[in-house]
Amino acid sequence: MAGIVKGPQASRHTFLDPDVLARLSGLGLHARTPMLGSVSGKHRSPIRGSSLEFAEYRKYVPGDDTRRVDWRAWGRSDRFYIKEFEADTNLRLCLIVDTSGSLNFSVDGPDGSIAKIDYMKSLAGTLAYLTSRQGDAVGLYCAGSASDKNGFHIEIPPKRNPTHLRVILDQLVEMKAEGETGLAQALHAVAESIRQRALVVVVSDLFLEPAILNSCFQHLRFRKHDVTVFHLLDRSEVDFEFDRPTRFLDMEGGEPIMADPSLMAPQYRKAMGGYLDDLQTVIRDAAIDYHRVNLSDPVDEVLARFLLARRPKKRAAERGA
Amino acid sequence: MNFLQPWILYALPLMALPILIHLINRHRHRSVDWAAMMFLVSAKRMNKGMARLRYVLIMLLRMLAIAVLVFAVSRPLATGSLGSLGMGKPDATLVLLDRSASMECQDLQTGESKRPTALRKLADLLEKRGYGNQLVLIDSAGSKPQNIGAPRDLLELPATSATATSADIPGMLQRGLEFLAANESGRADVWICSDRGENDWDPGSGRWAALRSQASLRKGVQFYLLSYADRPADNLAIRVANVQRRQLGNRAEMVMDVQVLRERATTDGPAPARSVPIEFDVGGIRSTVELDLGAEGATLQGHRIPIDSKLRAGFGVVTLPGDANPQDNRFYFAFAEPPARCATIVTNQPAVGEAFRRALAIPSEAGMQHTAVVLPVSRASEIDWQLSGLLVWQAPLPTGDLAASIEDFVKSHRVAMFFPPSGASGSLFGVGFGSWHNLSREQREVSWWRGEGDLLGHVESGDPLPLDDLAVFQACDLSFPEASGTSLALLSGDRPLLVRAPTPRGAAYFCATLPPPQYSTLSRDGVAFYVMMQRALVEGSRALSLASHRHAAPGVLEDLGECEVLAATNRSASQRGLHAGVYRKAERIVAVNRAPEEDSAEPVSIATVDGLFQGLAFQRIDDAVGNDAAIASEIWRAFLIAMVLALILEAVLCLPERVVEKREAAGFAPAGGQT
Repeated sequence: MAGIVKGPQASRHTFLDPDVLARLSGLGLHARTPMLGSVSGKHRSPIRGSSLEFAEYRKYVPGDDTRRVDWRAWGRSDRFYIKEFEADTNLRLCLIVDTSGSLNFSVDGPDGSIAKIDYMKSLAGTLAYLTSRQGDAVGLYCAGSASDKNGFHIEIPPKRNPTHLRVILDQLVEMKAEGETGLAQALHAVAESIRQRALVVVVSDLFLEPAILNSCFQHLRFRKHDVTVFHLLDRSEVDFEFDRPTRFLDMEGGEPIMADPSLMAPQYRKAMGGYLDDLQTVIRDAAIDYHRVNLSDPVDEVLARFLLARRPKKRAAERGA
Repeated sequence: MNFLQPWILYALPLMALPILIHLINRHRHRSVDWAAMMFLVSAKRMNKGMARLRYVLIMLLRMLAIAVLVFAVSRPLATGSLGSLGMGKPDATLVLLDRSASMECQDLQTGESKRPTALRKLADLLEKRGYGNQLVLIDSAGSKPQNIGAPRDLLELPATSATATSADIPGMLQRGLEFLAANESGRADVWICSDRGENDWDPGSGRWAALRSQASLRKGVQFYLLSYADRPADNLAIRVANVQRRQLGNRAEMVMDVQVLRERATTDGPAPARSVPIEFDVGGIRSTVELDLGAEGATLQGHRIPIDSKLRAGFGVVTLPGDANPQDNRFYFAFAEPPARCATIVTNQPAVGEAFRRALAIPSEAGMQHTAVVLPVSRASEIDWQLSGLLVWQAPLPTGDLAASIEDFVKSHRVAMFFPPSGASGSLFGVGFGSWHNLSREQREVSWWRGEGDLLGHVESGDPLPLDDLAVFQACDLSFPEASGTSLALLSGDRPLLVRAPTPRGAAYFCATLPPPQYSTLSRDGVAFYVMMQRALVEGSRALSLASHRHAAPGVLEDLGECEVLAATNRSASQRGLHAGVYRKAERIVAVNRAPEEDSAEPVSIATVDGLFQGLAFQRIDDAVGNDAAIASEIWRAFLIAMVLALILEAVLCLPERVVEKREAAGFAPAGGQT
């Protein structure tokens, strides 16, 4: 950490916890699907390359380089085979963060008040650091107001150099949650703008209709992106436990609602339950890597669970052996 | 429904407390920044349906619980069929008690009759509800309204005990209204306790119209009828008539007709035949006769009981086994040697006098002595008022002392018959003679006469008197108000031929023609005339007998003064004449029993009773003996139960949704990854 974020700017990145970074530094970020990178890396590629990882044999066809013929196989079978190896490439991590006003929602935690926007900064920042540290490219897209062009007001395409990480972290520092959400437009825009396969990580409270989210996720999947969603949803938002009439102020600037929780709670919970059920269906249909995050959950635990789940099983088994 | 503490009802606005608390809570709201507004909007939309209804129900149940609590503390009274008793207490409460013999019909299981049942229930109600400043009793056997200290006293007073009398409900109402007018009472409740006996209510009387108009002038008078119209099934009533002492040589016997009336069974179809033992007690000697009863009862004609030939006068009693009404199971009778039958005829026309004399002087029964004296009007002062049983007056109607003497004569249970004079006449007993008319051939016949009884009733064999053959050539107009006379016979064209004037005792008849041939065929076809005159003489002479029978009524023994009680169901001096019994004054013996209408009168229909009180504030409560339900009972317990039920229901509606369901709805899996 200290080697990456140094100098006068280091004190600004308070959302990065050195202890968390130290604990997670041993866990690499892996893509679940083959990536198409521009340089060599540690991730699988859909094309064959010259790595040490054997991929397959295929029959020789005229035009193939004779140096790649496996002569031992010719000696055994009197047939010409070409021995192919997997290509390792680098990863593009596209962080799409929701900066609508609803991300200002905060709850009381053991160390004081925790806001979703702060939690999101910590999560995205840590993930960006880990990705950059393993030599992969990191980009940042901030889904701002729905009125913004393309749905996002900050667009930092993925790059590999360490200076780029500082830019991203600085943007996270400056980030504020305000206005209505433009997440849907942002996801569609990202799907269209990123031409090569990438790991798309969405950090949002996802307060959109499941049908809209389904459209967005299907679009990303259609572009063969590996999509991961960190759904910031606190338990208090699900349980809705209030004991007296309350005036609920819309954090995205809408009309306030005066409600008697004793009267509204059952219907609220019913609506929330229906939404979560529909979201489950969307996640399952789009094959999304979905993580529902409570604000009281430590960031390192959430990321550790995320990273461990993505480790390649074959290599993990080899290491275990 | 009524309330014993209605002032607590002023706390009813407290039922708005839940709404008030709800509004205060809304006002004390706090503001919270909320992100998941889309679910609140959705919940609000859903809340417009069943959830809002549920919330409204909760609010209503809370309000209901408070309202019911207030009602319970106000001590509500359930009034059942009575409906509302009104919110305020009356200034005065009048209890009009029917003490007639028929009110003694009792429930065989509880032994309580209609009268004490009505009194008990009414006393309970008045104790609970209050009766105002005055509680006044007007009983059917009393003459004046009587102030009562407390409702419970109604159960103890002699003035509310059983009697063998009949009631005069219109008269009692009249006394009640006069009392209210005299005391200038404001709001008053008038409670009538009665079995709606037709003879007691006399619904055809013209007095009801006057009562209605009089009552309608008094605002705030509420009439309640506590009605016990049910008739006991298979009740028997016994009655004796035509009691005579006969001397047959050395032997003597008493002859009487015994009638047993049988109440119709409540079930459909005729009552099954059965026999009943009738016990006779004459001078301590008892005998029993088994009498077979038909559907309507039975009659024992000419029943003879041998008596000591030396016994010139005496009394006895005939009884039935106990049944639903003990008042009609006993009948007292008295007997004595028959008196000489004396008639006095006053007329200035000798021919007319002779016709009357011939009809009256010939005895209708063997062994009887008949005397008929004809006097001119100038010698009217010579009339023997003591010995005469019948006075026949054919002269201008008298005035002054002579008229007063005739009225006293009739009051002493004797009979006066008036025939038209040749000239103009005044009026007596409310009836007067007008001018004479020669009748045409079509007008001469008798078109209708009353054959059920009285002077022109059918003979014992059931055959009618031969009035069809009678022709009237000249008739005199009879003028009488509609309510002041009863026509016994009408000529063609509804011209009255024979009219009976209303008299409390005795009888006064007015005939429109005379017996001589130029007036009518009364003397020529003399059967009907003879029977009519003989019946009048027998009836009038009956009062001269040393033994007489009277109907129980207030003042019925006034003419006797102080008398000895030989036998009675109640020997109290203040109740004499009100109960069945036998009384003696010197040589005269009087048997007092209930009036025959008490045995046979049907209850007045509900529609008729409602019509009698038309235009007045009137409520009827139909009750029955043996019915334990109070007229009004406190029902605060029911209200408390209702409150508890409302609170339980409110709690059920307030219960949060099941925890399992809540968890399922939340579906929260923190930091759980899935693909």
